[in-house]
Amino acid sequence: MNTNTNICFYFQVHQPYRLRDLRITDIGAEQDQTYFDEEKNRAVFRKVAEKCYLPANALMLELVNQYPHFRIAYSLSGVFLDQCEEYGPDVMESFRALARTGKVEFMAETYYHSLSYLKSLPEFCAQVSKHVARIQELFSQTPSIFRNTELIYSNEIAQVVRLMGFKGILAEGADRVLNGRSPNEPFVPPEFRLPKNKEMTIAKFRPLEKKSDDIHVLLKNYRLSDDVAFRFSDKSWVGFPLHADTFTDWLMQTGGNNINLFMDYETFGEHQWADTGIFDFVRALPAIWQERGIHCATPSQVIDNWQSIHENVIDAHTFVSWADMERDLSAWQGNKIQDAALASLFALESAVKASKNPDLLETWRKLSTSDHFYYMCTKYWADGDVHKYFSPYDSPYEAYRRFSHALCDLKLRVEQPKKKQTKSKLKQKSHS
Amino acid sequence: MNMHTLMFGWEYPPHHSGGLGVACQGLVRGLMKNGVHVTLVLPHNQGIPEGNMDMRFPTDELCETVQVESLLQPYDTFGEYDARLQITNLPRESGALYGPDLGQAVENFTAMSIAMTKDVRADVVHAHDWMTFEAGRRAANYHGKPFIAHVHATELDRTNFSPNTWIAERERNGLLAADQIIAVSQYTKNLLANHYGIPTDKIRVVHNGHDQKAALTQPLLMTKYGDEKRPLVLFLGRLTVQKNPWQFLEVAKRVHDVSLQVQFVMAGDGGMLSELIDRTCELGLEDSVIFTGKVQGREIDALYKRADCFVMPSLSEPFGLVALEAIAHNTPVIVSKQSGVAEVLDHAFKVDYWDTDMMADCLLTILREKPLADQLKAEAPRILTRLTWKNQASKVSSIYRDIIQS
Repeated sequence: MNTNTNICFYFQVHQPYRLRDLRITDIGAEQDQTYFDEEKNRAVFRKVAEKCYLPANALMLELVNQYPHFRIAYSLSGVFLDQCEEYGPDVMESFRALARTGKVEFMAETYYHSLSYLKSLPEFCAQVSKHVARIQELFSQTPSIFRNTELIYSNEIAQVVRLMGFKGILAEGADRVLNGRSPNEPFVPPEFRLPKNKEMTIAKFRPLEKKSDDIHVLLKNYRLSDDVAFRFSDKSWVGFPLHADTFTDWLMQTGGNNINLFMDYETFGEHQWADTGIFDFVRALPAIWQERGIHCATPSQVIDNWQSIHENVIDAHTFVSWADMERDLSAWQGNKIQDAALASLFALESAVKASKNPDLLETWRKLSTSDHFYYMCTKYWADGDVHKYFSPYDSPYEAYRRFSHALCDLKLRVEQPKKKQTKSKLKQKSHS
Repeated sequence: MNMHTLMFGWEYPPHHSGGLGVACQGLVRGLMKNGVHVTLVLPHNQGIPEGNMDMRFPTDELCETVQVESLLQPYDTFGEYDARLQITNLPRESGALYGPDLGQAVENFTAMSIAMTKDVRADVVHAHDWMTFEAGRRAANYHGKPFIAHVHATELDRTNFSPNTWIAERERNGLLAADQIIAVSQYTKNLLANHYGIPTDKIRVVHNGHDQKAALTQPLLMTKYGDEKRPLVLFLGRLTVQKNPWQFLEVAKRVHDVSLQVQFVMAGDGGMLSELIDRTCELGLEDSVIFTGKVQGREIDALYKRADCFVMPSLSEPFGLVALEAIAHNTPVIVSKQSGVAEVLDHAFKVDYWDTDMMADCLLTILREKPLADQLKAEAPRILTRLTWKNQASKVSSIYRDIIQS
């Protein structure tokens, strides 16, 4: 007995470069100082590697090898891959082993897990291109599906990404875009043309060879995803303790073409610790699914296999994301320090690029990572606690203090050579 | 039927020297708003009763009839008495109010506690800080009612953990005798548990409140305090060890090394004034630091308003009402982590009292980054809508209810 419902697993893997305790006296101090807390970043990476990445990858490899219909997809941020190189060759190797099975899909995202889409189309294209190249180099596959940072999505992004060459994009199945419909089918964005200049920019910086004629949107089934990611070990939850067969029952009752279970990879072992039984839960799923004839599909498989005369249109005029209760941009933008931080960062874009200095560009790009702005969030309600849980700093204001110092120093480094130039020009003038 | 509290206080505005009087007034007003009947006993007749509160103090007749025990441990010197006045929150001039000796004043108050309250039919007895604990205990005993000790500050806070043993002893005895203790912060609760050995289940935390004053028509600034175009950083508090004004100067020095623009105002009076002035000169800050001496009323308001940042570097601060005052004037604040107010502030920098570099860094960041200052100004005052005295007093009133019923 086979069901027509496919399970689509996607795991997000990301680690930011957290900032060190920069001081005002550091600004302009050394030419090549780092802004990042190497010790802390290494420590966090190793902790998560031991608790999550290594055991979870070992488990996934085992399951992929054992069950012919078990498939999964990842999006690994570029800054995560950089940290793998620095702090975790073992983790990198375990992802490459997964890639070699041919049953694991790697998606594209902005290399720096950034908010660049909100501020600069050329920079957004550049970061995606850099990421695609890295995935090709590491895993010998070319991503055909895009997922934007924290599933930030809108009608326009879908069209931009289509023109970049992708056939699919992921988004949050937020109630306000679904309007009561099930998220368990591929959707399409409304059709429209982008302004000419945007189309030209995209054509100029396109990461893939040619644009895609159409694009499908896969929506996260947030109820079922969050049952695993957030509620699994919540003793006050009616579903506790959650068993693999019960969860499978829920999946089947939900039905549809594809059930998209999208979550942070750190769910396994880090947010839900091993002693909650999360690994056993995952281990038990494929066996039950095999027994009941349930198959997995990666995002590109879901889209390739989708044949329907009519298409469901998903209309997202305003941004949706998978963050917080609001599922909008308010985790990263909205208060004065968040807005100022992102605006001043991108105010430096042209100067940084004009400097032709790769170190400055790399540093500037690392500051575009969304986490820096997430840590500055001061929203009042309960999600504030989530931000606190994920923040390495004492407070949103501490996050801003460090970030603004980094930016001040970067600005100085970008401007200094210019000053020298003008000085020497002045000298020349006075000589002549 | 409405509850009735018999309260022993030490000072009450307009005649007060520090946070204790302000907090006592806020709480009394808040309790009355919660329908609690208040009888407040003070050691002097300078308070002005308001609403339907019953305010009492020793009368001359009473003083004549009540036998006051002499102190077991009289002070040796005038200097020691003077020093004691300093550390117990009291301005020098108030010595007259309490007789020649503070210890004697406490004894007088204690001795008359029963005689002054014989006719009061209260449900609970509630005393504020060590000076009133023994008076409260005796009255509670006499009336057969539960005794609540409210801790606004401990001897350890005031003395950088080198307590006057006579005071610390009285404090401890009061705390041990209490049926219930109210601490003004978790910070103070921890201190009572760790240093006085009080079981934590006996201590409840009720943070101090803050009531927005009606906007004054014209805040009055006696002088302009330097150049109005230059940023101004404010310290306001007694110049005593506890408030850590020394640290403020060290911070000023660090800031001065980066920016000569910034001006510093130290508002307040206290025993450390002359050494602080010497230190200012030593650090070469004589052109950047202004000492105002004691400031009051409208001038305080004007200073808060004028300031670009308020710094409270206290060594050990049970609460720290000044930080709420600054916030009420839309001034960004940096507070010591060793303070109670840090527990209720979300939109502020919190720094260890000893971390000079970090304090200076936060300060310079606030002055440099307008969006940061704007956000602190906009967000911080939200807490004040929650921390009204009416709200905080309702917590005290439910503590009354719990203890009456138990």
